Amino acid sequence: MNIKRLLGIDTLQDKYSYGHDPRFGYTSAAKIPDRWVPTTCGYCSVGCGIEIGVKDDRAVSVRGNEGHPVNSGKLCPKGLAEHHILEAESRAVRPLLKHSGRLQPVSWDAALDRMVDEFRKVQQKYGPRALGVVSTGQLVTEEFYTLGKLVQLGFGTNNYDGNTTLCMASAVSGYKRSFGSDGPPGAYDDLEQADVVFLVGANIADNHPILCYRLERNPAKTLIVADPRVSKTARMADLHLPLKPRTDIALLNGMAHILIRSGLIDRDYIERHTTGFDQLEEHLAKYTPDRVAQVTGLSEETLYRTAMLYGRAKAPMIAWTMGVNHSTQGAETVNAINNLALLTGNIGKAGASPFSITGQCNAMGTRETGGTSSLPGYRKFEDPDDRRELARLWRVDESELPAERGHAYPDIIEACVKGEIKALWIIATNPVVSFPNVDVLTQGLANLDFLVVQDGFHPTPTTELADLVLPAAIWGEKEGTYTNSERRVSKVNRAVSPPGEARSDFDIFLAVAEKMGLKEKLYPGWSGPRDAFDEWRKVSAGRLCDYSGISYEMLDRHFAVQWPLTVEQAAALDGAAPPTSRLYEDGRFQTDDGRAKLFSIEWEPFPEQPTTAFPMVLNTGRTVEHWHTRTKTKEVKILERLSPTAWLEMNPRDARGLGLRQHDRVSIVSPRSRVDDVELRITEIVGPGQVFMPFHYFERNSNLLTQSAFDPISREPNYKQCSVRVEKTAAARA
Amino acid sequence: MTSSLVQIEPLANPFRTPPPPGPSRQARGLVGDSPLIPAIPLEDGQQYRFHFDMSKCIGCKCCEVACSEQNNNPPEISWRRVGEVEGGVYPNTQRLHLSMGCNHCVDPACMKGCPTQAYAKDSETGIVLHNAEVCIGCEYCIWNCPYSVPVFNEERGVVGKCDMCHGRLKDGDAPACVNACPSEAIKIEIVDIEAWKREYAGSANAPGLPSAADTISTTRVTLPAALPLDAQKADYHRVRPEKPHGSLIGVTVLTQLSVGGVTAAWLLSLLTQQPVRMAATVALLLGLASLAAAPLHLGRPAFAPLAIRGWRTSWLSREILSLSAFGGAAGAYAASLWLALPGSALLGAASALLGAAGIYASSKIYLVPGRPAWNMGHTIAEFFLTGAVLGPLLLTAFGVDSPGLLSAAAVAAIGQLLNQSLKFVRLIRSEEFERQASARLLSNELSRGFLARIALTVAGGVALPLAGWPLAGFVLALAGETLGRYLFFVSVVPKNMAMSFFSRQEAA
Repeated sequence: MNIKRLLGIDTLQDKYSYGHDPRFGYTSAAKIPDRWVPTTCGYCSVGCGIEIGVKDDRAVSVRGNEGHPVNSGKLCPKGLAEHHILEAESRAVRPLLKHSGRLQPVSWDAALDRMVDEFRKVQQKYGPRALGVVSTGQLVTEEFYTLGKLVQLGFGTNNYDGNTTLCMASAVSGYKRSFGSDGPPGAYDDLEQADVVFLVGANIADNHPILCYRLERNPAKTLIVADPRVSKTARMADLHLPLKPRTDIALLNGMAHILIRSGLIDRDYIERHTTGFDQLEEHLAKYTPDRVAQVTGLSEETLYRTAMLYGRAKAPMIAWTMGVNHSTQGAETVNAINNLALLTGNIGKAGASPFSITGQCNAMGTRETGGTSSLPGYRKFEDPDDRRELARLWRVDESELPAERGHAYPDIIEACVKGEIKALWIIATNPVVSFPNVDVLTQGLANLDFLVVQDGFHPTPTTELADLVLPAAIWGEKEGTYTNSERRVSKVNRAVSPPGEARSDFDIFLAVAEKMGLKEKLYPGWSGPRDAFDEWRKVSAGRLCDYSGISYEMLDRHFAVQWPLTVEQAAALDGAAPPTSRLYEDGRFQTDDGRAKLFSIEWEPFPEQPTTAFPMVLNTGRTVEHWHTRTKTKEVKILERLSPTAWLEMNPRDARGLGLRQHDRVSIVSPRSRVDDVELRITEIVGPGQVFMPFHYFERNSNLLTQSAFDPISREPNYKQCSVRVEKTAAARA
Repeated sequence: MTSSLVQIEPLANPFRTPPPPGPSRQARGLVGDSPLIPAIPLEDGQQYRFHFDMSKCIGCKCCEVACSEQNNNPPEISWRRVGEVEGGVYPNTQRLHLSMGCNHCVDPACMKGCPTQAYAKDSETGIVLHNAEVCIGCEYCIWNCPYSVPVFNEERGVVGKCDMCHGRLKDGDAPACVNACPSEAIKIEIVDIEAWKREYAGSANAPGLPSAADTISTTRVTLPAALPLDAQKADYHRVRPEKPHGSLIGVTVLTQLSVGGVTAAWLLSLLTQQPVRMAATVALLLGLASLAAAPLHLGRPAFAPLAIRGWRTSWLSREILSLSAFGGAAGAYAASLWLALPGSALLGAASALLGAAGIYASSKIYLVPGRPAWNMGHTIAEFFLTGAVLGPLLLTAFGVDSPGLLSAAAVAAIGQLLNQSLKFVRLIRSEEFERQASARLLSNELSRGFLARIALTVAGGVALPLAGWPLAGFVLALAGETLGRYLFFVSVVPKNMAMSFFSRQEAA
């Protein structure tokens, strides 16, 4: 500190002066840029339009894009401070190769040579499928499309999946089973049009705050929230259903039972557009209100009220997120939700639809284009026609395309543990924090011959284990598109240069192909993301997720438009923005017979029930200030201050029984592991017998406790319930 | 392009004419019916205020982040804060969020306390503006505000606070927090000041907020239909000691010692006709030295002279004036003793009188509703008794042999012990959260210090001097009063809005 400051003559006037930004008005002069670059927020899949203020190749501020159809200028607290992540100290800035146990700088050329060399060695020795790839929902669609080709055609392995399996796989599987294809039928506009909005296991106030803004624009609606925890969203509800953990299938079946019995179903719709009603009706007979009340802990009166609200609504919407997906019955729960929509004909019309609220900014993009759980354009691996068509479009031999899906993410990890997968490429994800029962994952990673981690940040708990770290450009530093929960494709633009030697993932994929001598085969004449997008438009033409009418120019003009949009539809618009679209408006589904399937779903108790030794149920989740494993948000000082550490929520009755006091440091012990020194928050937000902990904090990682239990259909982990005991952390541990 | 932070706009003011429509920030995507900021101009007797709708707030903290970006504040400084109160029993739980900037009070305590007139209630808008140019960083406004709104910025050396984005309102743009809120829970409204003075009680109070009566907060709060009866602040259980203000401990104890010493010397010479030159001079010099060092506790020491501007309302200005006058009078008194000039008795009396006025003004600084454990008669008593214990003992430490001085010091020390004990009992028994919390601090984290303070005062003020060890007694008594003053500063729990569960959390 200088003497002028000590005397108080210098008060940093410059730093604290104000000025007028021509677009956004009076504000701190330091935050006024030379130009605003429109783009899309890179956190969650609400997909808000955002503008980055750039001055001298530095991002100095961000603002919500007032012209964007999703958010009309509003942002959540993460978005409002998003530019700070670009200059984080922990950005990865040069390739690092492990040499005598330490990661050391290496040139890009040497890094990629080594990577291709090691992957080839493993594949020659153990077979092509000994290479696994775990990707993400964080890249732009152009990169997912490019990566899918590289993995499936270049490396010839189908052991390729994304962290989206930890997130939305149950929704994907549920849609495929009910409707014959992935693809969320509804739109955010439904939040504004619906007269009843029923949220199941969705805490949008913490996780998708801008959807609350959309919901708020609909003052006439009745909001029902099913959540065992009195979450922020539950507190917004007109009717909160505090059901016992994971009894939502019983609730949904019970509602369907009441609707059928009360004649509040659309028999005409069922007859014309569905199959499986008779079995379902028979199956639901046993989901009587008194039994469902017993299972869920809700009163019969509440059940009736909920069913009546939904059944009598003109346009009811059901939306869900992780409370449904993170379950060994996740896909089936989605089917039970879809059943309600189909039984009442509430799908494909304004305000009414079943709707999955996606997690990551571009989980949708990888689902559509990535070639993980399906081939690009929602094509099925096992469908010879789909394979033939794609091979033709790609100008490759059909035999080069895999005829079945490879391992899903958890199975890739298990194959690592078993020694079947010997090399792994992890892209833009941090599984050492996010994977359930994480000790299994670290054991699997330790078995590998070679681990490549490609990320925008280093160190992360995962990059620290890598043999090779590839530094990637992140949001704000590259171009492409994200597709949000409502199928809306939104442009992502480069505002500033990546730090150091970091390169866009797109460039990295092309460089790897180049090293393999496959660049011209896989990416003929490509130089930038636009080439990938244009090829994808052709590949998607005629599919449910038809992008063919969407161009970068259109996105520049309207910021974001929904798929499907065919070339003909686009031409007919004559430059206007396309109206909101919903899938299945005509009742024609993507199944072989064009009818949606009603599934008879049986409720099962969650797999790890409390015992005497582990008497409490641990629920894990998020808080509004942080994103996933905090790789980005821990670098934003204001977010870190607002939510500085992990905590455990416990009901006062349990705390009294355990002799615990507010702010005590506690240990949480599951049959697998323990987490120490977590701050206790005694609160009536959670019910007796339940505790809640956020999963963001690697320093106190809740995923040491969660279990290796996966949905047999979607392979999604059962993050939301496991049994634990809580004890005061001994001073020595703290 | 840039203008100064705190420039208070000239009176010819756009608020009296319909504000020009902002580039677009009003019209787009409005959720509710009412506009985010008033569409009509202010009339006489009206001002702007915040409206906060607690039933709409989802606790997303967008306002807090947007405010930080708008003002380029460091991450640890919040001009707008989001807090929580919780009540009810699962599943009928209510956790309510409070989002507050400055309440732009009708009777702003920050402004009255400010010694430099850095605060002004804008005559056009009623916004309480703070001028960083004039601020000297004394932090007195922070003590005065019952909502703990003003924040000291370490890197600037001045205080800052919410100005309702005055600069944006002038352009017809919504403040950053209002603009950012996704549920339109924060809006700007026009309030009729006279009517509000009658009606505020029903609308300016909310669970988790200090009584609006202290300053007549203008923020209107809309509460949810049903409130939990047992609503408790989320930060209720985390009470941390306040900043010790090391230099203020020194300044207050030494000036009181000085006044006590000079007064004792004057009284002794009056009663015994024997001038006490040396000790009186030492007392004077200690006082002058501490006054000279006083500006060091300011964020901007070079601007210390500005601190007398607010003498009409600020006890801090009055303290400086009266103690400076005491310094002058006592200097003249000492000179008259050394030079054996006539009129020394009169000068001594003047010194004692001005010194007493100085101690009184000092203590009045701390009698602020925003700091309930200070806002008690015990503060005045403590300050005078510090002088009464230490002054006579200083004289005896310098060899003045007088049983009367020893008795006076012993009586004062016992008085101080009674004063502290009584204060503690009143804190414990208080139903006010902040006073209770102060007692909690004194009986937990600070208990050892509190006991040591008592022991030092017994030993130094009573036992040792009576046993014939006046110098040791003085040293221990000085230590006791210094420790006592430390406890005075750290054990006070400021009034504040309910904060979040993790506020005052040390780094993880």
